[in-house]
Formats: sequence, C-alpha cells, structure tokens
Amino acid sequence: MNHEALAREMRELREQVPGITDTAVAAADGMLIAADTADVIDPESLAAIAAAGLGIARRATAVTGRGAFRQTVTYGSQGLAAFYAVGDTALMIVLGDEGIDLERLHERTRPALGRIGAILTGTGPDPLAGPPAEPDPLAGSPAASDALVGAVNDTATEGV
Amino acid sequence: MSGVRDSLGRVGYDLLSHALGECRNARATGKLRVSGKPGGVFHLRDGCVVAVESPGAPGAEARLLRSGRVSGEQWAELLREASGARWPEAGLIAHGYAGAAQLRVVCMMAMQDAAFAVVAGDVEACDPLDAAFEPYAPVVLGETPGRLLQDAARKLAAVAALPRPVRPDRERPVPAVVPDEIRERLPPPQKELLAHADGRRTARDIAFATGLGAYTVTVGMARMLGEGLLELPAESASATRVTVRDLPTGALRQRPAGAPPALDPEVFSALSSAVAAGESPPPEPRPDPLPRSGDTAPVLPRREPGANAPSLPRREPGASGITESLAPERAGVSWKGFFRLRHRIWTPDSGT
Repeated sequence: MNHEALAREMRELREQVPGITDTAVAAADGMLIAADTADVIDPESLAAIAAAGLGIARRATAVTGRGAFRQTVTYGSQGLAAFYAVGDTALMIVLGDEGIDLERLHERTRPALGRIGAILTGTGPDPLAGPPAEPDPLAGSPAASDALVGAVNDTATEGV
Repeated sequence: MSGVRDSLGRVGYDLLSHALGECRNARATGKLRVSGKPGGVFHLRDGCVVAVESPGAPGAEARLLRSGRVSGEQWAELLREASGARWPEAGLIAHGYAGAAQLRVVCMMAMQDAAFAVVAGDVEACDPLDAAFEPYAPVVLGETPGRLLQDAARKLAAVAALPRPVRPDRERPVPAVVPDEIRERLPPPQKELLAHADGRRTARDIAFATGLGAYTVTVGMARMLGEGLLELPAESASATRVTVRDLPTGALRQRPAGAPPALDPEVFSALSSAVAAGESPPPEPRPDPLPRSGDTAPVLPRREPGANAPSLPRREPGASGITESLAPERAGVSWKGFFRLRHRIWTPDSGT
C-alpha cells in the first residue's frame, strides 16, 4: 500500500471541497487505516462506528431492494458525516460542517474512492505515485480466498 | 502572497457581474447558481438580490446556531412549528431567541458575507437564471447586484491590502509561539481565533466553527499573521498530517466476485441489533438467544447459499453495546425479566 498516495488523496479531497473538516479510511471491519482528523475526533471510534453503520446501511439497501449501495449521510445541526463504501473491503468517512456542498462532495468523492480502493489493494495504476506496492506475500495463501477485508479481518474470520 | 492581490479573478468576476447585471436589467426573479469554488446561489426578486447562499460563508442559520443563540434542539423544534418553512423567522421572534431587527441584520450580514465568499473564490460559470424563487433567510429590501458586488470587491481589496493577506479558503495557519503574558492580554476574538487555528482550518472553516463572518475571520487571520500571533506551517509539515497505518499484510484483498459477503462478527452484531429490534412483535416471548459458550465468539447464523432474500440476522439483545440507556437484558430473559426488574426496583426491602 502506498502511504503517500493515500495521504495525498485524502488531503486533496479536503482541499477540493470547502467544508470538509475530517476524513478517515478504515477497513470494512472498522480497523482504522488512515486518518486526517482533528484532535477532538477519536479516529478509532469513528472507524468502528462507520463500519457498523455502513454494514447496517448496506444490509438495508439489500433487503429493501434499492440496488447497489452507495453511501450514507448522517445530518446534524452542525454538519454531517458521510460514509462511503470503498469496494467491498474498506470504507471512507468524510465529516463536514453545515456549509458543505453535498453535491460537490459526492461528485469529488466518487472518483477518489476508486483511486483509494486501488491504493488499498495495491492493484490500481497510480501514475503519480510510481509503481504499485509490492504484492503481499500472504495474498496468495489459501486462507485469503474468502477474505472480505484482507488481513485485518482474517483473524476474526478464521476465529468464527 | 501576490496571488491574493490579483485574486479578484477578473474573468470570473466579470462573468458574475455580467450575469447579475442582466438579471437587474430584466428585473428578474429567481435564483442564479454560480459554479466554482466555493460558488453559491444568488436569489433575486425584481432584479434585486435578497439572499445569497454559499458554502464559503456561514448563513443565517449557522450564525445563530454556532454563536449559541439557538441550540440544535430548539432549531429542530422551530422547524416543526414552522410547518415546512426552512427559515423559521416567526418562531425565532415568538420564542424570544432574536428580535426582528436583529434577524434583519443577521440576514443582511449573511448575504453580504456570502457574496464576499463567492467573489473571493473562483467563479467558473453562471448558470442561466432558474425561475424558482425560494430564497433562504431573505432580506426584506433587496440589494442591487452592483452595490453588493462592489461591497464584496471592496472587502477583498481591503484584505489584499493587508501586509499578510490570506484567502478565506486557502491558508491554514497555526498559532505562533507567543509568551503567555502577551497571549493573556489578547482580546477575546483573537483568543478565539488562536484556539481554532490548528493548522487544519481556513478562515472559512473558523467562520463556520464560530458563527462569525468569513470576511471578519479572514481579516482577523491576516492581521494576526502580520502581528506574528499566527504563522503558516511549512508545506512539508502540513503534508505529514495524515496518519496512515501499515496493514498487517501490506494491502487489502478484494473479495472474489460471486463469493458470499461475510461480515465481521462485531459488525454483524451491531447490524443485527438494529434489524432485530423490529423483528418480532413485542408481546411474543423472544426466541432463544444464540448460545454463547464461554469466551468463544458467538456462533453466527450463516446465510443459506441460494436463498433469494437475505435472511434477517438474529441477535443476542444488548450485544451491540449501544443499549446503555436501556435496562440491561441478560441472556435467556423474556418479558418476565422486565417485571422482575421492576419488582427489584420497587420492593421496599430491596434496598433500592
């Protein structure tokens, strides 16, 4: 995984959309991967909450026949929290204040999600960041065949 | 910082000025959407601007809420009372949260500040006028577009003339190392600005965080930079703010196409708790909760492969850990548990 490329994507998103206050990327099981958050935010808790919330939202989309899941947005009187799925394996959290332009946020976030997904899986081309990350030595192991969230979740999956 | 001095972006400004001028000449009513960063929407009535909304400046609602004049709960109540209106002006006055004259001032300041934010940013294009007239927090007497833009341009020029000018949505300063005695003597607005300048926030962000105007904060920030109370971090320092962790295996793996989605047990239990809440009618005794054996992870029901509809998960009540405000349920309890609990609470000899 290219750390610098991931950090750059998150930073650029915050700079592109006025009103973004914090961003974080986590694995689908809630394990924090990257955080660009203010001191008042606990990114670990945020990642766990986002994973649980996104799981419920994904399920709700499925049982109600609403097609492919896209994102959830939680509104408060002083801003919003948007949770996006990054493929099947990860998620992205964007916090914004009440001035944020939601249309612009979604518009700018969608392409970034694809790039972030590619960075996380080490697969996608990343012309700015040079060659993709070294292939993971465990990636081809039999245990990985049914992995949903990669190694972060492997232990939990195997334990059940 | 020379970029600020010519930041008016003549092309964008002329574009906006031209579009608004046409609306003025046609005495148009509707909304003019300005795309750009931050961009915004100008609401016009008979060729006069009555409201401007922009992501670049806090609107009337944000000013009232962030300044602490109205709480979020009070605002929600006002909206309920206003029966669909987005701007609960009558309710604000009726409840004594603000006077009519104060609201007029707040709306006018919000409009001028939003115009400043649009002009100070990048104007890319102006959409054709949309006839839908739905202004948010409009002023009673509209402002002519010419005067509004002149006022915004004058403010921008005033910022640019400062020794250390900043853009409302660009610089993210940090507090400079200042002796405590100097810091203590600062007036409250400057102290507040210092408290919010954490290297992550622009002037616009601080305006939203405090409920002050974007122009006010921009000027304050520029002055404090000039006085050495704030400083701009080096590019390399700000670039390291995103903390990225190593994954144990280096990278996540994509789920193979067609594989049934598996869920992490913790996510599953949180998910289940929400779904199971409406799963069975309350008077019915709950089905036996999932067996738990010691410290091992709970046995989770697996989805039947080939089932058309995803089966709803069952759960052990309270497993999500988000029921702390409710009476804690224990494994195997039914509705009897509730009565036992009540009995325990209300028995005089229980000691409670």
